[in-house]
Amino acid sequence: MTVTAMLGTAKGGFIVRSNTDRSAWTIDEPLFKGWKVTTSARDDKGRYFVATASDVYGPALHVSDDLKQWKQIEKGPSWPKRRDRKLNQIWTLHLRSGRYYAGVDEAGLFMSDDGGETWSPVDALNEHATRSAWAPGAGGLCAHALLVDPSNPDRVWCGISAVGVFRTEDGGRTWHPKNQGIPQVLEDKDHKDVGYCVHGLIADPEDANTIYRREHNGMFRSRDGGDHWERIENGLPNWFGFPIAMDRRTRTIFVHPMESDEYRMPADGKFRVYRSRDGGDSWEPLTNGLPQQHAYMGVLRGALDCDQLDPCGVYIGTTAGTVYISTDAGDSWTQLPCTLPRVLSVTVFNDA
Amino acid sequence: MMPSVTIELPSVLAPVVNGERSFTVNAETLPGALAALFEIQPGLKVHLFDETESFREHVLCFHNQTNTRWMDSMDVPLQDGDTITILQAVSGG
Repeated sequence: MTVTAMLGTAKGGFIVRSNTDRSAWTIDEPLFKGWKVTTSARDDKGRYFVATASDVYGPALHVSDDLKQWKQIEKGPSWPKRRDRKLNQIWTLHLRSGRYYAGVDEAGLFMSDDGGETWSPVDALNEHATRSAWAPGAGGLCAHALLVDPSNPDRVWCGISAVGVFRTEDGGRTWHPKNQGIPQVLEDKDHKDVGYCVHGLIADPEDANTIYRREHNGMFRSRDGGDHWERIENGLPNWFGFPIAMDRRTRTIFVHPMESDEYRMPADGKFRVYRSRDGGDSWEPLTNGLPQQHAYMGVLRGALDCDQLDPCGVYIGTTAGTVYISTDAGDSWTQLPCTLPRVLSVTVFNDA
Repeated sequence: MMPSVTIELPSVLAPVVNGERSFTVNAETLPGALAALFEIQPGLKVHLFDETESFREHVLCFHNQTNTRWMDSMDVPLQDGDTITILQAVSGG
C-alpha cells in the first residue's frame, strides 16, 4: 500500500509517492507541464480526474486509470454560447454518490450522471434569482466548495466567492442561500441574502449537518446544515485564511491562518498550521518543523489535505512552492525535498 | 483532390494530442482545415476557441507568414503544402 499525492501547481502537476510509513518520497516529473493543475479527485471506481487550466488555452478535465495515461474529457464543463460567460477554471470536483459535480469559475456548478463523460450546467443554481448580485472575490467569481450529504445525495452545499453558501434539498432543483450569522462583505441593493465570501467548507463525515466554514471574516460552524452559523475562533491568532481540511477518522480539523485580508501572509513571518481536536471549540498552533522566521508565503484554498491514515498525515503546499508533510497529525513536520511552482491544490490518495 | 496542408502546434498543447506537434489535413479553406483538425483531435477545439467560437485572446494563427487576425476574412483558399501555425501570443513580459 502506498500514499500518493497530486500536488497541483501553476505550471503542472507533481505526483509524489511513499509507502504508508511516509518516511521517503519520490517525486515524478511534471504532469501537464506548463498548465495549472487546479484540482484533482478520485471517483468511486478508482479513476483519477485532474482539472487543468491555462491563461492562454483555457481549462479542461482529464481522466486516468493509472495516473500515467490521461484522456481529456471532450464533453467537460462548458458554458453554453448564449450565456456570454467564460469558463476560466474548474475549482473543485465531487465524484461520489453516483452524481458527479464540478464547481467552476465563472461561477457555476456542473453535474455528470454518466461517470464524468458528459457534463451539464446545474441551471437552478447557475441562473439563481440572485445571480445579478453575484460579484467576484480576489480569486474570481468561483464555485470552489462542495459538500454532499453521504446519507442523502439530494442534499448538496455549494460555496461561491464572494456570494455565499447555497443548499439544495431536492437534488439541485432549488437552491437557498445559507449564510445566517456570517458577516456580509458585499451588500447588494436588492438581494440581501448573498454577498458573503466563503473560503472553504468541510463537514463531519457522519453528521452532514455539522459543517465547518472558513470565511473571509472568520471561522464558523453550523450544527443545522447551514441554517445558522457561529464563530469558532478560540485560539486562532487571526480570522483570515483559506484552506481547511479534516482527518475524517478522528475529526481533527486543520487550518492555516494568515495575518489579514490586506496582507495575506503568515503573521510575524511564522508559518503555522492550527489544529482543532474538539470540533472547532479550540485551536492550537503547530510549529515543529515549520519555518518560524522570515516565512511569508501564503497557502491557497486547495493546498491542504489529509491522508486519512493512522496516525493522520497532513500535507500543505505554499505559494512559494514548498510542501510540508506531517505524519503524526500535525505534531511535527518535514519539508518535501523540492521547490515547485506556486502550489494551487493538494490531493492525497492513500490506497493508490 | 483537396489541398494537403500542415498544421503546427505549440509544445504546451502536446499533452492534449498525445505528444504530437503537427498534423496533415486536407481542406480547401482555413476554417475547413481547422474543422478537419478538430475532427481528428476534438480535444483541441476548447483550447483554441473561446465560448464565442473565436480564437482565444492569446492564441495566434498564421497562414504561412500571415497572421489571420489581419485578414479581412478567414475564408481564404489553401494551396497544397501550405502551413498553418498556432502560436501563443507574446503577451506581457
